[in-house]
Amino acid sequence: MTEQTPQAPGKRGLKSDQFSGLMLVAFALYVAWENRAYPVGSLQEPGPGYMPLLLAIFIGVMGLLIALGGGKSQRLTAITWPEATRAIVILLACGVGAFALERIGYRLTVIALLIFFLGVLERRRPLPVALVSIGFGFISYYIVGDLLHVPLPRSPWGF
Amino acid sequence: MLRIALAAFALIAAAPVHAQEAYPSRTITMIVPFPPGGVADLTGRPIAAAMEKVLKQPIAPVNRSGAGGKVGYAAAANSKADGYTILIALSSVSIFPEVDAIFNLKPAYTLDQLVPIALISADPTILVVHPSLPVKSAKDFIALAKKQPNEIAFSSSGLYGTLHVAMEMVVQSAGIKLRHVPFAGGGPAIAALLGGHVMALSSGPAAAVAHLRSGKLRALAAWGDKRLAAMPELPTWKELGYKDVEFYIWAGLLAPKDTPDGAIKALRSAARTAVGDAEFKRVMAKLETPINYLDAPEFKKFWDRDAERLVRTVRRIGKIEAAK
Amino acid sequence: MVETFQNLLLGFSIALSPSILVYAFAGCIIGTLVGMMPGLGPLAGISLLLPATFGLNPIIAIVLLSGVYYGAMYGGSTTSILVRIPGEAASVMTCIDGYEMTKNGRAGPALAIAAIGSFIAGTVGVIGLMLLAPTLAEFALRFGPPEYTALLMMGLFILAYMSSGSTIKTLASAGLGLLLGMIGIDVMSGYTRFSFDVVELGDGVGIVPVAVGLFGISEILLTAGQAAAVKVQRPRLRDLIPSREEFRLSVGPIARGSLLGFMIGIIPGSAHIISSFVSYGMERRLAKDPERFGKGAIEGVAGPESANNAAASGAFVPMMALGIPTSPVTAVMIAAIMVHGISPGPLLISQQPELFWGFVASMYVGNVVLLILNLPMVGLFVNLLRIPYSYLYPCILAFCILGTYSVANSMLDVWMMLIMGGIGYILRKFHYDLAPIALGLVLAPMLELSLRQSLAMSAGDYGIFLERPIATTMFALGLLLFLLAIKPLIFKRGKDWRKDVGLEGEQG
Repeated sequence: MTEQTPQAPGKRGLKSDQFSGLMLVAFALYVAWENRAYPVGSLQEPGPGYMPLLLAIFIGVMGLLIALGGGKSQRLTAITWPEATRAIVILLACGVGAFALERIGYRLTVIALLIFFLGVLERRRPLPVALVSIGFGFISYYIVGDLLHVPLPRSPWGF
Repeated sequence: MLRIALAAFALIAAAPVHAQEAYPSRTITMIVPFPPGGVADLTGRPIAAAMEKVLKQPIAPVNRSGAGGKVGYAAAANSKADGYTILIALSSVSIFPEVDAIFNLKPAYTLDQLVPIALISADPTILVVHPSLPVKSAKDFIALAKKQPNEIAFSSSGLYGTLHVAMEMVVQSAGIKLRHVPFAGGGPAIAALLGGHVMALSSGPAAAVAHLRSGKLRALAAWGDKRLAAMPELPTWKELGYKDVEFYIWAGLLAPKDTPDGAIKALRSAARTAVGDAEFKRVMAKLETPINYLDAPEFKKFWDRDAERLVRTVRRIGKIEAAK
Repeated sequence: MVETFQNLLLGFSIALSPSILVYAFAGCIIGTLVGMMPGLGPLAGISLLLPATFGLNPIIAIVLLSGVYYGAMYGGSTTSILVRIPGEAASVMTCIDGYEMTKNGRAGPALAIAAIGSFIAGTVGVIGLMLLAPTLAEFALRFGPPEYTALLMMGLFILAYMSSGSTIKTLASAGLGLLLGMIGIDVMSGYTRFSFDVVELGDGVGIVPVAVGLFGISEILLTAGQAAAVKVQRPRLRDLIPSREEFRLSVGPIARGSLLGFMIGIIPGSAHIISSFVSYGMERRLAKDPERFGKGAIEGVAGPESANNAAASGAFVPMMALGIPTSPVTAVMIAAIMVHGISPGPLLISQQPELFWGFVASMYVGNVVLLILNLPMVGLFVNLLRIPYSYLYPCILAFCILGTYSVANSMLDVWMMLIMGGIGYILRKFHYDLAPIALGLVLAPMLELSLRQSLAMSAGDYGIFLERPIATTMFALGLLLFLLAIKPLIFKRGKDWRKDVGLEGEQG
């Protein structure tokens, strides 16, 4: 992971640590800004804003140190994201699933989600896809919902 | 238990969804705004079981805990008012809208979003102190607090939590100053008292009774209108001359505002029968929680008075840093 | 001693009666299953089962629930080792080296050592509980806010030990975790901080969705995203049993982890996860070649797994001897016996000897049951790895969603898990450690609260930390650790510079 991808000499660019360090600084500034709503208090009597401010400063300093010391790290462009597209698709699908969970019920959501992953994303054969997704949906519902009495969401059609 | 569960499941599976049928025609959800094992949960489950017998439909308690109960209260207040969602609430239900107002937050819910069904139990808290505190009575306690203002520390279940508000009533009424050390929940609060890290606590009787028996803690006074049946030797603050100090940890059934009258009537009569149920009585006796049933109209009066006291106290506490 | 022995006999006569044995067995099995489910930990397991115990007698209820509790502590390690999903929060540390071992084809030994370590730790814990409960309980009570502050500060210093990459990045991660822990209602002032008007965030961010997201989901995103699935070595049969060398390396960590976990477990609070962090840090420090940690060191599985199981037994000390709920788990268990009219308190052991001794004996039995249950299962679990990853990961994702949702019926937790998965993915691309985030998240609210409680107790006087012997000792120890942590940092820095003249830095 750490080896350098050869870069064209003389080509200058942001290093990965410089980038992530600066992002941390930006984040720290954002937190400090959001934190202004809460009284900081004093050393003797720290208020609700005391710890967050302290931590924001701490992260800011650390971010700065990372950025300053990051001159020798990998180039930002050298971090490859070969899996990023699929990762985003997976995450988005889960997001859609989470959104649907309380609307169309647990079983339908999980079956749809698994069909999407197995059938569309992984291109498995239809029969195993159907078996796994429907089986998983019903069996997990039976165990968690019926045996453990977790009120898992149902669809408006009572299913 | 398993048989009941199975039967319940069979009912859910069998019952078709017909909204127009006589109430109740399907499972009723009871929102419990606290985790399993809390007072609300331990009161809610037995009453749900007893009411099931009357309504002939299952009542499923669902724990929606979070933010000291606020999450569950808000969920219930904003749920569909069709009679199929009810709430088991504790006294803290009256406090949150006021606290939201103090911090200029949009209230998660308001009290008029909820209507009463029945009061199930109401238990006054008691003042317990660490035995190393040199006081033998509530009078001594107040005297000591006056002599050493801001020296006696007390724990609570959290700022604006019920145990804090109860203690604050005494502070305001007696004009004393105490040092408040809030904890995250009633359990840690009583542990800190047992360890002598704080000296006093307003606690529910059930949580303290074992420690009183073993002499690790000493009880001084009770917050009720009348003396506690289980501890008749304990004077009430009212007897001691603090007229406006009255506080109960109560548990009651509420429903969202526009719940149909027919459903409310059915639930009220079910609750009335349920509190007389032998099994329910047995469970509550084991929990050392006296049943204190009130039907909706009387409960409403009780709740209004109680909420008025709580809101007044919370307002006087105000924002903490503002007081300094 | 004789009395203890007689009591224990009484306990065993209860615990070995068929009806109780069946429930202990059932509890262990349910617990193992619940612990294996990502997101569902011991708390969720016993909370879900609590209502079912109302109809049983109190001894059966507590035997069943405690079976679920330590069963879940056992089970939590399985998914951590096999697929890097922490089955429960305390297994976060097991993920790191356990999963690396799986990648190296050593899943079998990792699982076996985890089970053996858990068994030994569990047994040590019960012995401690049996012999020392009343004495230690009094000690636990002496932990007030100042002592917590000291303990938690010590926990933070240990962070400096844990880093596998750059120390500054580790500290930055810890800072992020601590900041994440600031979300929610501030107990001391009532302010709701950084909640973005989400009422559910009032309670703060739960550790379960964060741990599952950061470790599990991010791993899936990294692995499943790749066009060709990463080869996880399929273990052969003879690779199931730990080698002599692996046993030898595990003895020390298991012993230390058991003692450490038990001691930390007694102290009220969120003990399990801290105990596994401390154990991991300690083993890494004691190892001859700390570089192996994070790359599949067996000590990194043996230590934390033993520690968190011993902590589980330790947590029963204040519960049984004083009747104080010191963690959400014990709070539920206290409720389970209160329902039967038994008020937990200092008199419980003398007034209800059958309950206490039956419970102790059932824990011995339960631990044996779990060992018997878990060791042969190692082969079975390892075979899960034979399922093609393209089938495995969608099911894991569905389990994660199901598990996180079930804990509190909260959609917010599901969202939190997914967001953390994305963040974890990005942070790993930039070589940030994730474990300090989880630790920071757990420590932050407790640390802040206890610091401010201490100051409330003393009216703003910091002298309170110096007046109390336990707190002072721990502060001194923490400071010592901190200095020790700094020393190699400076030393290493110097070495790096020399190395960097011609070469690149050690890590990105």
